[in-house]
Amino acid sequence: MLADPSTWIVQGLNGLQLSMLLFLLSVGLTVIFGLLHFVNLAHGALYALGAYAGVSAVWMLGSYWAAFVLAPAAVALAGTVLYLGLIRRMRRSGPMNQVLVTFGLIFVFLDIFRIVWGDIALGIDAPAFLSGPVEVLGVAYPAYRLFIIALGAAVMAGLGLVLSRTQIGAMIRAGVDNDRMAACLGLNVERIFFVVFCVGCALAGLAGVVAAPVFSVTPDMGTQILIPTLIVVVIGGLGSLKGAVAGSLIVGFTQTFGAVLAPQLAAVAVYALLAGILIFRPAGLFPARG
Amino acid sequence: MFHQTGIKTAVILALLAGLAAYAALGGYFARELVIEIATLAILAISLDMVAGYGGMVSLCHGSIFGLGAYGFAVAATLLGLPPGLALVAGIALGALFGGAVGAVTSRARGIFFIMATLAFGQMVYVLIFDARALGGDDGLPGVPRLDLSALGVDLQSSLQFALFAIACLGLVYALAAFVLRSGFGRTLCGIHANEARMRALGVPVWQYKANAFALSGAMAGFAGALAAQHTMFVSPEMMVWTVSGEALVIVILGGMGTLVGPAVGAALLILLRHEIASLTNHWHMVIGIVLIVTVLAGGRGLYGQLEHMVQARRERAKAHA
Repeated sequence: MLADPSTWIVQGLNGLQLSMLLFLLSVGLTVIFGLLHFVNLAHGALYALGAYAGVSAVWMLGSYWAAFVLAPAAVALAGTVLYLGLIRRMRRSGPMNQVLVTFGLIFVFLDIFRIVWGDIALGIDAPAFLSGPVEVLGVAYPAYRLFIIALGAAVMAGLGLVLSRTQIGAMIRAGVDNDRMAACLGLNVERIFFVVFCVGCALAGLAGVVAAPVFSVTPDMGTQILIPTLIVVVIGGLGSLKGAVAGSLIVGFTQTFGAVLAPQLAAVAVYALLAGILIFRPAGLFPARG
Repeated sequence: MFHQTGIKTAVILALLAGLAAYAALGGYFARELVIEIATLAILAISLDMVAGYGGMVSLCHGSIFGLGAYGFAVAATLLGLPPGLALVAGIALGALFGGAVGAVTSRARGIFFIMATLAFGQMVYVLIFDARALGGDDGLPGVPRLDLSALGVDLQSSLQFALFAIACLGLVYALAAFVLRSGFGRTLCGIHANEARMRALGVPVWQYKANAFALSGAMAGFAGALAAQHTMFVSPEMMVWTVSGEALVIVILGGMGTLVGPAVGAALLILLRHEIASLTNHWHMVIGIVLIVTVLAGGRGLYGQLEHMVQARRERAKAHA
């Protein structure tokens, strides 16, 4: 089986698809982290919220593409409420308080999902023209999963361009490097924080609605994805796009190929990798600050 | 810095006596609650030692708890050791893992420390979840209890087991207080206050951190072994990362860095959960909101707030005199 190239192609695409999903989640988390010094353990819950908002949008409007647009917007709105109500005043308190408050938020979100959408796993269908398989390098592969890969790559490229080529990107980079100095130079750091937080939330919501047709939508889907996402951030290093890209590719491929090559060790492989990184490069592979 | 003040002694004794009275006068269900409170209180005290006094906020204490439970269960059922030796195995496993985590993470700080402990805890969870020999996600049934018939104690009786658990809580509290009052404990507090200075004084910081974590791990492992005997069953559910989070929640609700607070917090959380569960299915949301409000209100916790108020009043009295 392992000698067959088609297995490798399919697994490679699977790894890429998982990586892109992890990227959408971790890039928001890592930039919020790097810029606001804020640890949002509820980021996974926002991902689940995106999936649920997508389910509701499909129920009401009957269109996947409506959900695709509305779910990230809904999550960004929830993020705005969270930011104004809670996170703004938690920014200066230490990591422990942030961990605790966002841990409390996870509990609150879990029960909101249960109250509004129930305990049963929900799901939505992929749009019709993406529902069939497509031939890739001589292998049949689900078109919808290719769409996830393409979307992740597009977001990656778009963010890369925005961060490296535009003025807002320069402002964000300045804020990550040294927020006080950036503020002294006349940047409205508070507003940058707010915008970045909302964009990060919207990306988590996007990941949720995109994942909804592939995985079942359950209240605890956010708690499950949170740990791999945090691992991506720690491996990649705080606050950098490069770190999020590298981390999600490493984790996505380690998980996918680990499951194929060494099923007994697969589950531990990612954690062993993390332990190694923490011992030899405690700040991650590409930290934003030297 | 830790001081066994009069108010600490009074509150912990009152708590132990209250639990014992509740177990003695209440029915079977009250005893189940008391055992759960005592076990979680031991876990929370062990966490408070490293988090509240050592400044190492650990998100892997749930998995150390689970390791202690599995150590006991595996030694007693699969290896057929007598429960007394199995208890030693559970404690040793907790200490070993705690020491290893402490040694590896001693350089990490703040959020990196939290994440590193989270990851190591999750690694243990995944390992045990996947281990068919240990029952995988089905867990291991048929865990025996300690045989204390030589002392005239029958742990099969729910009342006697509850009283035994309360006694264990008292012992662990005394041990933790003893350690924190010793030179070792004071050095640990010193590292928390100013690590660079302690290093400059020639203190082998990572060794102290690792030892503190190992000791805390031994206590958490003991709590796990107790929990395994209580339910007579172990499963990977005991060590999902949210269990570690709940242990932290208990410490915060009671008051971090007070040692008595975690015990108070455990009683508070279990009784709250019991009361809220009879009113609504959504006790998680209530706990979440209580947690957020506690942190926003200054994060002293119930006991911590009490101690703070008592001390403030004393200082005012002193200023007047």
